[in-house]
Amino acid sequence: MAKTYDYLFKLLLIGDSGVGKTCILFRFSEDAFNTTFISTIGIDFKIRTIDLDGKKIKLQIWDTAGQERFRTITTAYYRGAMGIMLVYDITNEKSFENIKNWIRNIEENASADVEKMLLGNKCELEEKRQVSKERGEQLAIEYGIKFIETSAKASIRVEEAFFTLARDIKAKMEKKLEASNPPRGGHQIRASEPQKKPTSWLSRCTIL
Amino acid sequence: MSVHNDKDYKERLIATVKKEVKQVMEESVTRKFVHEESGIVTSLCGAVEACLSQGLRRRALGLFKTSSTTALLHKIAKHCPEAGAISKRVEEIENCDPNRRSSSSSDSVTKPALKKNQSLPANPLPKYLWIRLALFDKHLAKIIDYLVSNASKYYDKDALVADAEYGTILSSLMMGPCALDYTKMRNQDHYWTDPPADELVQRHRISSGHSTPPSVRRPILNFRRSLNTSSEDSHSNRSSAQQIAKDYVETLHQNSKATLLFGKNNVLVLPVNSDLSKPIPGYLSLHQMAQGLAIKWTPNQLMNGFVDESQDKSVFWEYALNVRLDDIVYVHCHQDSEIGGTVILVGQDGVQRPPIHFPKGGHMLAFLSCVETGLLPHGRLDPPLWSQRSGKNHTKRRRPLPALAENEETSKDYVFRIVDNACNHTDMLKRNELMDTHVSLPTKARTQLGSTSTSSESSTKSFSIDQTAPDSPPSVVVQAVCDSMKRQIISRAFYGWLAYCRHLSTVRTHLSGLVNAKIVTGEGAGDGDGITAAKWSELCSDGVVSDYTEVYRLTYFGGIAQELRHQIWPYLLGHYKFGSTGEQRDQLAEETRQAYENTMSEWLAVEAIVRQRDKENQASAIAKLSSESTSGEQAPPPVLQEELSNEVFEDERISDEDEDDEEEGQCSKKTRQNTIKYVSDDEEENGEDAGKKNESNETLEANKPDGEPNVNEELKDFIHNVVVINASVDICSLGNESPRITNLDAVTEENNSSLDTCIETHGLASPARSNCVSPASSNGGIYSVSPSLTFPNRKPPENISRNNPQQELLETFGLNLHRIEKDVQRCDRNYWYFAEKENLDKLRNVMCTYVWEHLDIGYMQGMCDLVAPLLVIFNDESLTYACFCHLMERMVENFPNGNAMDCHFANMRSLIQILDSEMYELMHAHGDYTHFYFCYRWFLLDFKRELMYPDVNATWEVIWAAQQVASSHFVLFLALALLETYRDIILSNGMDFTDIIKFFNEMAERHNVRSVLKLARDLVHQLQILIENK
Repeated sequence: MAKTYDYLFKLLLIGDSGVGKTCILFRFSEDAFNTTFISTIGIDFKIRTIDLDGKKIKLQIWDTAGQERFRTITTAYYRGAMGIMLVYDITNEKSFENIKNWIRNIEENASADVEKMLLGNKCELEEKRQVSKERGEQLAIEYGIKFIETSAKASIRVEEAFFTLARDIKAKMEKKLEASNPPRGGHQIRASEPQKKPTSWLSRCTIL
Repeated sequence: MSVHNDKDYKERLIATVKKEVKQVMEESVTRKFVHEESGIVTSLCGAVEACLSQGLRRRALGLFKTSSTTALLHKIAKHCPEAGAISKRVEEIENCDPNRRSSSSSDSVTKPALKKNQSLPANPLPKYLWIRLALFDKHLAKIIDYLVSNASKYYDKDALVADAEYGTILSSLMMGPCALDYTKMRNQDHYWTDPPADELVQRHRISSGHSTPPSVRRPILNFRRSLNTSSEDSHSNRSSAQQIAKDYVETLHQNSKATLLFGKNNVLVLPVNSDLSKPIPGYLSLHQMAQGLAIKWTPNQLMNGFVDESQDKSVFWEYALNVRLDDIVYVHCHQDSEIGGTVILVGQDGVQRPPIHFPKGGHMLAFLSCVETGLLPHGRLDPPLWSQRSGKNHTKRRRPLPALAENEETSKDYVFRIVDNACNHTDMLKRNELMDTHVSLPTKARTQLGSTSTSSESSTKSFSIDQTAPDSPPSVVVQAVCDSMKRQIISRAFYGWLAYCRHLSTVRTHLSGLVNAKIVTGEGAGDGDGITAAKWSELCSDGVVSDYTEVYRLTYFGGIAQELRHQIWPYLLGHYKFGSTGEQRDQLAEETRQAYENTMSEWLAVEAIVRQRDKENQASAIAKLSSESTSGEQAPPPVLQEELSNEVFEDERISDEDEDDEEEGQCSKKTRQNTIKYVSDDEEENGEDAGKKNESNETLEANKPDGEPNVNEELKDFIHNVVVINASVDICSLGNESPRITNLDAVTEENNSSLDTCIETHGLASPARSNCVSPASSNGGIYSVSPSLTFPNRKPPENISRNNPQQELLETFGLNLHRIEKDVQRCDRNYWYFAEKENLDKLRNVMCTYVWEHLDIGYMQGMCDLVAPLLVIFNDESLTYACFCHLMERMVENFPNGNAMDCHFANMRSLIQILDSEMYELMHAHGDYTHFYFCYRWFLLDFKRELMYPDVNATWEVIWAAQQVASSHFVLFLALALLETYRDIILSNGMDFTDIIKFFNEMAERHNVRSVLKLARDLVHQLQILIENK
């Protein structure tokens, strides 16, 4: 099978129920918005291949159920993730407060070097805002991660968010590869390397 | 004893146990069961005993001379229920035999390694009695586990049991043997596993026959003329006779050429052409050889080393029997409770073989069961000896045909036919076809099967060479070598196949609980032709439905016409009782409605308060934000962070610091609005604008579904009560911690009275409600929350000043309310029914009522999806609620706190493995997704998200009816049918886990439900037949 991409990144969207995870994903993968979305049960994922510095990167983005009770199902997917989007709703204080719990969840279940990013969604609803941009930034600084306010509905900075996360993962990965096998002038080896991992990333999950 | 030696000794003890466990497990694998009196069981018990008695604190137990572990058992009987049960049994047995009292345990210590001479005439209590009993009752592991965890009480510090490492090893080692079945039959089968000493001597004598002078005349046993053992010819070559005699005895034992399946001595046979008047005893054995089963009987005179060497044994050689089971068609059994049993074999030619008389004690049954096992997989006994059924709880219940039961008083006769599956290969193929329509055996297995059966035929031919005399030409020798190689290859293939069959049979046993044993046919109920209006009027004559089996059957096979669903579904879900009259149902409906309205009025009251607090929180957040942005401060004060209720993480405590500071101000307006208006987030949040408030009372009337005047009255009443007069809100006073007004208490006290009147006027208190409403609570709280209402994982609050049950209830319900709202808003909005806001409100009401009555369960995502189709069909809140409660009885176990989901996954694994192992292999090979996570949504929502609304209806009613008709696990077969429908796509694309998730998510609502349902029913049927054929 001909390779249609150079890298495959697994990303994960987490956050309280109703903050717009599915909408963000739908905006990014289909560039559309639908007000009649249904709650996510179990798991789903979408794929979009992006171009980054001349490399084709296939993003496999997993969407999870927000309710805490379903954690046993969703945490099984943390482990394989290379990047995690933490989403809250700027019109919902609680969803912002819960970000620290989600971070704790990541720490417990995801691999230690997973790239994280904080998204404050629904930023088009300025009049209902409960969480200021400053607080979002503050929290992101606290955890040493990047922060973007997005709107899936108005299509504000959603692309940017995913590109940023993908770029960070790519940089981190290339740095790692460089360290493990010093440059020999070719990119071939590096390019094929990451594709082996994904096929079996879930095989290790034995929860449930 | 030095530390080192001590450790060494323990190591040795454990190693012995390990070895014995391995032996027992091997035994159980090679044979169907392990005999209770088998030597290996005794040695295992001995090894365990040795471990347990090492380092036992005798004094502490009050045991002085005897180091009895039996005493230890009695000691722990009080604390460990398993030990209690065993101890009781030990006492019972010992009391029956007072002479033997406790000898079993004491002698076990003094001479642990020695095996008991089993040929003792008396039947003493077996050694290691309690360990034996515990092992057979499968309690041993638990008892040892108990001992290990309480080792400090009973054992010295350096004892093996007290050792952290060895102790656990010991108890876990026992798990395997405890899982085995030990045969209860009191026969002496172990004679052939542990041949008595004299027999060993005899064997040795024959094998060293060359050195001893041969007896006068010893005929050659002609193996080829197996039917007729009384051969008179060929009595020339002495050495070859010797050789054959040796071979013969050796064939009686387990060897490379044949597997010994059964052996019993002192079986009486009256040889045909003898001048004997009475049957003589001999050794009966059943052998499995490459060419089939053989039954041999050898007179004792040849077996047991008759001391009198001078006696001419030749005549006994003539008496010996060697019968190939291939030549036998019928097995006649005559049972006599006095004498034992007699088996007569009848050949294809109709000639009877001499009767074989078994002594008393179930030996005949054991023999027949060995024959039956040996015949598999190419043949079987008809009727089957063992009728096997397993119940829902997966416990295996085996019972022999009634005629063969040992304790049966009357003597009965029985005739079995030996059916050869291998001969009529078509029969075999037919069996495979069962799985073949869409699913098929792995090709590997099938070719294996084919090759085995064909080559075994050829081998039977070539085997004749084997028995030619040793003076054959060299070419024959080469031929023999080739044959031997061939045989080895065949036997390997055969054992591979046999192991495969055994595996499948185990899986089958597990699966038999998944389907009902009784096969119901779908006659007269074609697809889409289930319960039609005409049929329903037949079934429901005079408004009474009595033939419920027919209702279930028709529904299962043909479904229900759309216009009848609202009538029939309540029956299927168990809300209406079959046989109830129209009036009874009307009454039930009225009662249901009343109860529903009452419950609703309760939670509406609580909701009002929750709303109010939300508003305040929201206002405070916004206020904070604005003040923050003006002052330029970034971080909010910590107080605020803590006050916010936690939506998602239940273990986070919500504190409510200052929400009541300004509650009363908005209360008058908001309570009304919030109670009645449950609209989209947008509108709700616009509630900030005071302008909208006035319409609330009107919406109250308008939005109330189904016109419930009395509730409205009460609501109004209540609202008037709740509206506490107070000053207007001053948002600026926010953050001002000081005046802790107890207005909330005031409000709720008002609530209290109104609620109480509510409850009193209706004079009912459902059990669930009686949990939360405590009329006696006097401290200002309405609700005393019983422990069941609190989340178990909730941490104790850290800084909550007013921690009372009422607060907790408010928080819990508030939390659930928000979740419900979020999900109701996005529940099937594309479907016409839920495009209407009015209907969304109904959905929300039903959901809230359920959660209010089941606060311990709480709302979980997916519940809305389960309510929705019911609501669409009934369009009646109270009926939907009642039916949903029934539905949830089964479904709640699927949700995260239940364990049904794991069971589903495990069952799927077994089902796929047995019905489509090719698919299973694929799943295993492509990243191993045999965890079946991709079925999660299917099972959680009964396929609701996978199908369109009309299809969901059709599927759900079949699932409900299936419980009564075919299988209470019908969802598994639906899942399987979905997989099988796309089998080719999945296999040809070699889908991995992500592919399969993506595939089914994209295929959602595009399935052809009719064919899937049909396939699912077929799969149930296939499994039923598979199990019945067993």
